Amino acid sequence: MTSFQSTLGDESGIAEELAESQQAISIAEFFEKNKHMLGFDSGARGLVTAVKEAVDNALDAAEEAGILPDIYVEIQESGDYYKLIVEDNGPGLTKESLPKVFGKLLYGSRFHAREQSRGQQGIGISAAVLYSQLTSGKPAKITSRTQGSSEAEYFELIIDTDENEPEISVEETTSWDRPHGTRIELEMEGNMRARQQLHDYIKHTAVVNPHARLELREPNAHFKFERATDQLPEETEEIRPHPHGVELGTVIKMLAATDSQTISGFLQEEFTRVGKKTADSVIDAFRDRHYGREMRWQPPASHEAIDLETLVSDATANKGAEATAAFADAIAAAVDDHDRIAHHELVDIVETAADRTEDEHGTAFGETVQEHAVDAVWRALIDAPEDTAEPDEDVVEESRLVTDCYELADAATSTRKDDEVIHAFAGRLAAKFEDEEDDRHRLTRRQLREHVDRAADLTEEYDDVSFGDTARENVTEAIWNVMLTVPDDPPLVRELEGDRDATSDLVDGMRATDIMAPPTRCLSPITDELIQAGLEKEFDADFYAAATRDAEVHSGDPFIVEAGIAYGGEIPAEGGADVLRFANRVPLVYQRGACATTDVVKSIGWRNYGLDQPGGSGLPNGPAVIMVHVASTNVPFTSESKDAVANVPEIEDEIELAIREAARELKSYLNKRRSMEKRRKKQNVLGTILPEMAEKVAEVTGRDEPDIDDAIARIMNNVLVERHTEANGDGQGVSLVVENHSSTNESLEVTDIVTSEPRNLSDGATAVEMDGEWFVKWEPEISSEGEAVLEYEVDDDASFDLDVKGVESEKLTVTDQ
Amino acid sequence: MSAENDQQAKEQLLDLAAQFYDQFELGEIPHMSVPTRTKNNIEYDEEMDVWVYGDRESTRSANSVRGARKLLKAVYTIEFLANQLEEDRSSTLRELYYLSESWDNEEAQFNDQDESNGLIEDLEIVSEVTREDFHMRPEESGATIMGPLHLREQTRRGEREIHCQKDVGEGGYQIPNNPDTIEFLDNDADFILAVETGGMRDRLVENGFDEEYNALIVHLKGQPARATRRITKRLHDELDLPVTVFADGDPWSYRIYGSIAYGSIKSAHLSEYLATPEAQYIGIQPADIVEYDLPTDPLSDSDINALESELEDPRFQTDYWEEQIELQLEIEKKSEQQSLAARGLDFVTDTYLPERLSEMNVI
Repeated sequence: MTSFQSTLGDESGIAEELAESQQAISIAEFFEKNKHMLGFDSGARGLVTAVKEAVDNALDAAEEAGILPDIYVEIQESGDYYKLIVEDNGPGLTKESLPKVFGKLLYGSRFHAREQSRGQQGIGISAAVLYSQLTSGKPAKITSRTQGSSEAEYFELIIDTDENEPEISVEETTSWDRPHGTRIELEMEGNMRARQQLHDYIKHTAVVNPHARLELREPNAHFKFERATDQLPEETEEIRPHPHGVELGTVIKMLAATDSQTISGFLQEEFTRVGKKTADSVIDAFRDRHYGREMRWQPPASHEAIDLETLVSDATANKGAEATAAFADAIAAAVDDHDRIAHHELVDIVETAADRTEDEHGTAFGETVQEHAVDAVWRALIDAPEDTAEPDEDVVEESRLVTDCYELADAATSTRKDDEVIHAFAGRLAAKFEDEEDDRHRLTRRQLREHVDRAADLTEEYDDVSFGDTARENVTEAIWNVMLTVPDDPPLVRELEGDRDATSDLVDGMRATDIMAPPTRCLSPITDELIQAGLEKEFDADFYAAATRDAEVHSGDPFIVEAGIAYGGEIPAEGGADVLRFANRVPLVYQRGACATTDVVKSIGWRNYGLDQPGGSGLPNGPAVIMVHVASTNVPFTSESKDAVANVPEIEDEIELAIREAARELKSYLNKRRSMEKRRKKQNVLGTILPEMAEKVAEVTGRDEPDIDDAIARIMNNVLVERHTEANGDGQGVSLVVENHSSTNESLEVTDIVTSEPRNLSDGATAVEMDGEWFVKWEPEISSEGEAVLEYEVDDDASFDLDVKGVESEKLTVTDQ
Repeated sequence: MSAENDQQAKEQLLDLAAQFYDQFELGEIPHMSVPTRTKNNIEYDEEMDVWVYGDRESTRSANSVRGARKLLKAVYTIEFLANQLEEDRSSTLRELYYLSESWDNEEAQFNDQDESNGLIEDLEIVSEVTREDFHMRPEESGATIMGPLHLREQTRRGEREIHCQKDVGEGGYQIPNNPDTIEFLDNDADFILAVETGGMRDRLVENGFDEEYNALIVHLKGQPARATRRITKRLHDELDLPVTVFADGDPWSYRIYGSIAYGSIKSAHLSEYLATPEAQYIGIQPADIVEYDLPTDPLSDSDINALESELEDPRFQTDYWEEQIELQLEIEKKSEQQSLAARGLDFVTDTYLPERLSEMNVI
């Protein structure tokens, strides 16, 4: 191998030479060489991806214009190639934008918008055009007609990969039978081996787009998916970024671009869900991080030999005795009113006292005087040594800070800690405060923790006890909670702009503040109802469940996860469950194994939910379809081909919660089904044994066979409905006896269909006549072990048909004579 | 065996069927309750000095598939027994099990003989009729009597008068399944000697012990069948003969004595009718092992467990038994009856039994 290093010294101009061969490459050229990144890695797949991109575009276009999508896809064999035609009824494209949309990569309207849409980067359809021209050499043929125009525009174009610009070969007007819409015709190398994926894609698109009409015509097949609703998905709106999950770099860029002067204004203007109050909270969180909090110490207690009034009086010169006394008194009283007091609070107190004394006594207490007073009081509070006096070595009197620290530490640590140890620790911690250069005792949480750590380390070292992480954290937390956010004005936006550290503090503050989840109007979830409807439409199952989660945020982009489960029925029972993945209403067909959705499905313990899961992990087995939809203003995909959702923890968590929500319903359904199955089995067995037993008992005792319905109903905890009739004058009295042997209250709907008009209906009955039949209906609620008798009279020759609803058929015994 | 008795047994069975019938009619879940037949539900009847069932009951209810099957089988069995009584026939417990195969309903057929035996016990308890009165008998137990006793047995082929020494061979008089068909006519017996093993019984007969001591030698054949216990009880009660039990010197043999004297768990409902509380234990006693220096085997673990559980057993809570069992646990040895042969074949009849029986004031 040639070593450039060795020749560097000998020959000049190597770098220049090398530089000559370095040149910019166009994006189109790049993707020409990296087709797989866009999902065009094989002929089979290329066809599916092209359909997908064209259909996604068509759906987006129609929805944005408020038009119910009507999309036609046709695949024709054309010699060695396939011809793909996709037509939509969207608003059409203008003559100017059309060539760029189809003939220029990274051209689109969505990339900068925080709004849910299928397409995002403006790559997809132009990549399909590129693929077509690369494999067949034929230009894309595009027809588009905008609403109201009499003629359609027709283009034939290819992409100039060097320039990433469309190269138009034919441009003319033509007539088209659609009043508006776009039609694209691409010829490409391909094959139909991926027919299954193509069908899945179309079918699944139909599941999540019940408002769209889709038609697919293949050489040998023809599918139509009709609309299930005329309701367009709710229109989405663009939103600003959410403070949670924007990155530092983004914020720095936003700071540079904003018109706001203050941080508060910046936050409120540029972010969603931030008002005055939230902005204040963020700023407080910023202050805590940037400036630190001030420690609040306890004011002197009565037993302490600290006379604040005297201290203030001594510190105040030439203001007259009366005014000075009033000033000192006001300060002392105000300090005493506080449980604890921070330096800036003291400054406020002194200022207020000065103003008041000035008002009352006419004597001005200027800044210097105030400073002296603050200084005198604060030094007393923190027990600072006299400036003049040499530290008295003999009388080592304990600082009052020690007492204060002791109280806090003692309350925060476990009772098992020795008092002596806590005391020693408090002494060391107090010393750390005393050593602070800033005697206002301002600390960030990190600095505070360092102090606590240091004091704890020393305590461990000298007192030979352990002072663990939990204890340290508890003490830190207790003190931090006592400390007070400082009132310092936050920097202005322009000051912040160049200050990376301060900006970082701001971002941290934004993340730490509770902020309402981003608005969901930028998202268009399918909604659990429509997911269920979609599943019901496409899968013939016994059970359906769906769940839509609330919006969450990842990297400043809100997202919503929805999940649906279909179980049983015609879904094949063999093998693993099917996982249907959707992102922004687009089915994900390829790279199932690389998708966060699949990972989450595999990580869930499905046995807990009543599904078979070999080995306790992986895809569950059985007749189940699990559907997951991730809707976001920016779905993070693993690659540009948009086949798999990336493993973003926030999204994975929500996927899991959504699936679990739906799975819980599945579990209770399966449990119920199992218990019903058991009940049915029991009923089947008892249903043969007991009549046989009754028959035998009758035989042995020589009596008629006994009536065993009551006994069976009781055994099965069933609800028993029995009809009794008796002759009653010229008609017959009918009574329906409902006995509830179950352990819960039961609400029933008992309908007796009678062929002649009923009379004297018992309470609560309604009778409706329909085609010569009377529907006599009661809705009794019967408590456990309770009974209801429903009665009426009717002609002798009437016949009946009893119908009972509201109780599972397994739990119901009806004896209709 | 009177027809009247049969009629009553049959009626009691049919009453049970009628009870099920009424339960159906009243809309109740058909059921029957029987005392729980486990060790925990056995109580000592101070008055009778026997073991009887306590208050705990198990319910056989049609509430469950299992319970319903049980009751179905019960009804089929009732029908069978009623017919059997009607026709004055009898059958063995094993025959009942096989016979169920011929019933038209597969659900009513028994899975194993334990099930049919258990059901007969249930019916005995609930109808208060003994299985002998149902004409149900166990497999022949082969237990015999040899001794100076003259009796009359009502057999299916008429009445037979038998002398249990003169009219029988070496095997002795075989105790019938229902000893209540026997009428005692005359006897010269002084006491009853119940012997556990066949070998020892044969030894005693060969040595003419029954003749010499006017003993009624009852062969228990291991754990005694009901009929054996019943006839022992009747001989004691009706002829006023003391009952002695001669068994091996191990914990299992003490239980044989216990079932004769106090009744067994399975048939605690019949203790009053089967147990002879006055029965006395001859041996082999642990004390005999020491005193006569008998050949021994070491105690196995299960022997030790059995001995320890007997120490807890209220049936053995007497000074005598505690002393003996503790002694045995101490020497860790056990001996069979026939180990007495180590001292000569006549030792048992010439020395051991006479000594023990006179100690016990039997002779």
